[in-house]
Amino acid sequence: MNQYKLKELVLSFLYTCILLVVLEVFSATFLPSVGLSSYILSFHILVVLFIGFRVQTIYQPYLILMVELIHSVFTIEGWAIGTLAGIIVTSLISYLKDMIQLNSRLSTIIVVQIFQVIWFVLVSSLISIKLGDFSYILTRFWRFLPESFLLSLISPFFFIVLMKFWGTKKSLKGVRI
Amino acid sequence: MKIAISENSKIKLINILLVLIFSIYGVSKKSFKHDEVSTFQSVMMEVFAPLQQGTMSLKERVDYVFTHYFFLIETSKKNQILKKKIQELENAIFQFEEVQKENERLKELLKFGEDIPREKVLAQVVGWDSSNEFKVLRINKGKKDGIKLKSPVITINGLVGYVYRLSNNYSDILTILDQNNRVDSIVSRTRSHGIIEGLANFKARLKYVVRTEPVEIGDMVITAGLGNIYPKGIKVGKITNIEKESYGLTQSIEITPTVDFHRLEEVVVLIAREEEQKE
Repeated sequence: MNQYKLKELVLSFLYTCILLVVLEVFSATFLPSVGLSSYILSFHILVVLFIGFRVQTIYQPYLILMVELIHSVFTIEGWAIGTLAGIIVTSLISYLKDMIQLNSRLSTIIVVQIFQVIWFVLVSSLISIKLGDFSYILTRFWRFLPESFLLSLISPFFFIVLMKFWGTKKSLKGVRI
Repeated sequence: MKIAISENSKIKLINILLVLIFSIYGVSKKSFKHDEVSTFQSVMMEVFAPLQQGTMSLKERVDYVFTHYFFLIETSKKNQILKKKIQELENAIFQFEEVQKENERLKELLKFGEDIPREKVLAQVVGWDSSNEFKVLRINKGKKDGIKLKSPVITINGLVGYVYRLSNNYSDILTILDQNNRVDSIVSRTRSHGIIEGLANFKARLKYVVRTEPVEIGDMVITAGLGNIYPKGIKVGKITNIEKESYGLTQSIEITPTVDFHRLEEVVVLIAREEEQKE
């Protein structure tokens, strides 16, 4: 079980937020400006998953809320749907923690992909319920697949960076819990 | 202060419940038609949107340097004096051409909207929505420039969308590619009425057109002027696919927007006059 002093928690989270803003700008501005506007990388999901896997604190729900509030600046999706999905996914992670072994890059990629699918199902269902139209889930799913694969491939390296922010000295091969 | 989870599991559970209730409330209040930004979001948009604008300018500068690097390779074959002169001239011409092209684009944009009796605000695109669920773009004009919620946004090629949310200096545009944006439209040739909704892969679809309507591939679809958002007669897209099932009352029509969303740089926001808004 990880223990963080409040100051460490705030600082680590601040660095994470700065990284998130840079990546959101990269994803929402740089990629479309070079013609890659069809696919958008949702880095906020990786941040929330990392918080779920690695940052065990009573403030976890508020960290997720803050991540989604920052994300909402760059999307009209808003903060609420992502927060709801984030809370459900991280609760699921904490229940399944004993079964999840993120001790290699491959296992990290697979686990992240699985949780991205769960995230997608939750968010798409919520949006579809709000819109009263489920016909777009499949269309969205085909767009989601390549984006999520790419994010999953990036995830081991992304988590290594985040682990540095969160002061861990554990293996760089994956995220060990 | 040490945070020991095992001792605080109750507090964590309460925190989870609080955030969960707060987010469920947020989801229930969420509208995908238009959005009033909170003070927090407005401040954050004002802080982060210049970063997006800066990224765009940085990209343009990098392009510029690359172009000039290649110019230098080309001219390095010549002698030093000519090389310098040519470089200067080419720099000047390049800049002049860029300015001229921009001027032409802006002039055309303004001229295009002459017959639309609304105030026009030119804006530059600074970013796209960072979620794959929505097709939204951000422009560098906001409340301070007189932009209002639900103002239609166009280019010389046709309809882009409408203003979904805005802060003082930036606005988010819900494009016609987004499934939440519904445009009341008519097929120009047959005057068949339908509703356009966003579809995947930068396409849209025209719904509710009765299957007996003689629409054809290549027909132009324009705004119908109903629904209090878009003025009548703005080009939306061309019909690129029609599927008529053997059952059902309507036909499935795919539209390719006339606006090239991959190359969108400048747009015009049409702002309704006060009396028009009251109506």
